[in-house]
Amino acid sequence: MKEKTKKKFKFTKSKAEVTVMASLGVLFLVVFAYLPMFGLVLAFKDGDNVLNISRAIFRSDWVGFDNFVEFLHDKDFLNVLLNTLGLNLLQLAINFPAPILFALLLNEVRNGKTKRVIQAITYLPHFLSWVIFAGIVFALVNMDTGIINQILLKTGIVKEAVDIKGDPKYFWALIIITSLLKGIGWGSIIYMAALAGVDPTLYEAATMDGANRWHKAVYISIPSIAPTIVLFFILQISSLLNNGTEQILAFQTQSNLDRSEVIDTFVLKYGIRKNMYSYASAVGFFKSVIALILIASSNFVSKKITGQGVIY
Amino acid sequence: MEEKIVPADLPAEEIPAESVPAEPTAEDILTMHAGEKKSKRVHYSRRYGAVDIVILVVLILFSFCCLYPLWNVLVGSFNEGLDYTKGGVYFWPRKWSFDNYALVLNDMRIWRGYLITIGRTLLGTLLHLLLTSLVAYGMSRRELPCPRVFHFINIFTMFFGGGLIPYFLVLKMLGLINTFWVYIIPNMYSVYNMIVIRSFIKGLPEDLHESAVMDGAGEFRIYFRIILPLMKPVLATVALWTIVWHWNSYLDSMYYVTNSDLYSLQYVLMRIINESSTPTGNGVMPLPPDIFERMNPKTVSLAAIIVSTLPVLAVYPFLQKYFAKGVMVGSLKG
Repeated sequence: MKEKTKKKFKFTKSKAEVTVMASLGVLFLVVFAYLPMFGLVLAFKDGDNVLNISRAIFRSDWVGFDNFVEFLHDKDFLNVLLNTLGLNLLQLAINFPAPILFALLLNEVRNGKTKRVIQAITYLPHFLSWVIFAGIVFALVNMDTGIINQILLKTGIVKEAVDIKGDPKYFWALIIITSLLKGIGWGSIIYMAALAGVDPTLYEAATMDGANRWHKAVYISIPSIAPTIVLFFILQISSLLNNGTEQILAFQTQSNLDRSEVIDTFVLKYGIRKNMYSYASAVGFFKSVIALILIASSNFVSKKITGQGVIY
Repeated sequence: MEEKIVPADLPAEEIPAESVPAEPTAEDILTMHAGEKKSKRVHYSRRYGAVDIVILVVLILFSFCCLYPLWNVLVGSFNEGLDYTKGGVYFWPRKWSFDNYALVLNDMRIWRGYLITIGRTLLGTLLHLLLTSLVAYGMSRRELPCPRVFHFINIFTMFFGGGLIPYFLVLKMLGLINTFWVYIIPNMYSVYNMIVIRSFIKGLPEDLHESAVMDGAGEFRIYFRIILPLMKPVLATVALWTIVWHWNSYLDSMYYVTNSDLYSLQYVLMRIINESSTPTGNGVMPLPPDIFERMNPKTVSLAAIIVSTLPVLAVYPFLQKYFAKGVMVGSLKG
């Protein structure tokens, strides 16, 4: 190795300085990303309730896969897994295509000013934190004073006021709808930009040939933005299971835990609040592995379809 | 398909402006509005039909759904608490009252939260930009030995992590738990932003670097004196992302901080909202009993929401354009 380096590069001041710069990033990642990965050995140890970390990592007994087995037998396991996968897949199925649809609709608006006003309004929720958003939504869905219940009662959809905030039945819908409100406008930006780049002569030629608006959307607009859609779909899959904690924690209440407890909130509860470091590490590890499998498979699919992987 | 549709003998001036294919330059993709103007011109002659109206109605309805919830909160925050509990305050305050705001503005937790959040946003963003752009510069240089290794070390962390607990334990080991620095130091660097900045630097002309080297400048000097000033557009974008992230984040207060003096604004707000839904309320109201009787923790929490949203709403009109651009810069990475 040493001989090779000697042969290959002349060591210059420039190289040294550039290496120092890039190494600062590596140093940061070693501390805040790779050290925690090393900390995953905790998942295979009996370090629950051992408050001294180095003792938990180095001195406690190896227990093999006991922590994982324990999680599989946890009474909440099925619920937590169902919630995690269910919420993420629903988001993928509903919240991913919604901004595309929105962009296509917005693209049909010809008045530039109207378009800009709609954009300004629909981007706004993106900038509010989930805490604020949850507070706003709680006011809307309140059983006694909220407008949503009034509308539902007046239109006869429900017979008596429903507890949207507290009843686990409504939790998934709450998450999906609030994600839509917060994300559609902002998510559409990228597709609007892609649509703006479509050659206008294509539309003109289509009009000449008697294509109507629907034809143009299906045969020109959508194929033109397809690469963007594929790219963002892959990105979305690679961050599956990793997003939404801020949102879910903001909407979670004691009474809707049945449908709102996901792996991340489960880890928080056991790991930080109850000091069960090993158990929570194992549960977190379980999630990381599932996520990695999803990424690897999406990378594989992406290479097949677009000839370009997510990672390389 | 090499032939042009326009006959070759036609003088260029006679080609209608609309039919000149708009070559989408990088500039166009970055500035959406330029593209919009072009497409607007194309559709100029079409008439409005039923479909237009349906689309417009759908979009306006959705815009209303985005805006109304905020209005609902604003109205509630200006309504008297006791009156609010009767319900029906949806579009305009029924009984005006400023007591909610008086109470919120007297709540030291809010001010404390503001201080922490402003501090972490300013310092956190500054240090984030400094470190991330420095690393991005280093990573962008050809002189860097083993670039693939550096690249892999960075990229791998985007796809696999140790999870919350080991991360928490590392923070604990470093003594960051329950300090202000837990907001700053772990967020000083981001691989995604590094890649965004690096792709921008790679787009700068190489001659700049060469001539600076000729003049005997070192890499650090080149970074600070030449590259940093040129990076303003991409830095502005990343800064805005980081500012919004810092301003809105509450999980780190929830996870890593137990000292209530160090809670960030959003977490303070979360606690106020949660308290307001428990029947007892927060019980620390420094008010005379006659006013106290007319208060309601719910409307107080609505006022708190407005107070903490105000800065975002105040700067939003100015930022909107930049944010739209920013997403484009980020997408170039793909």
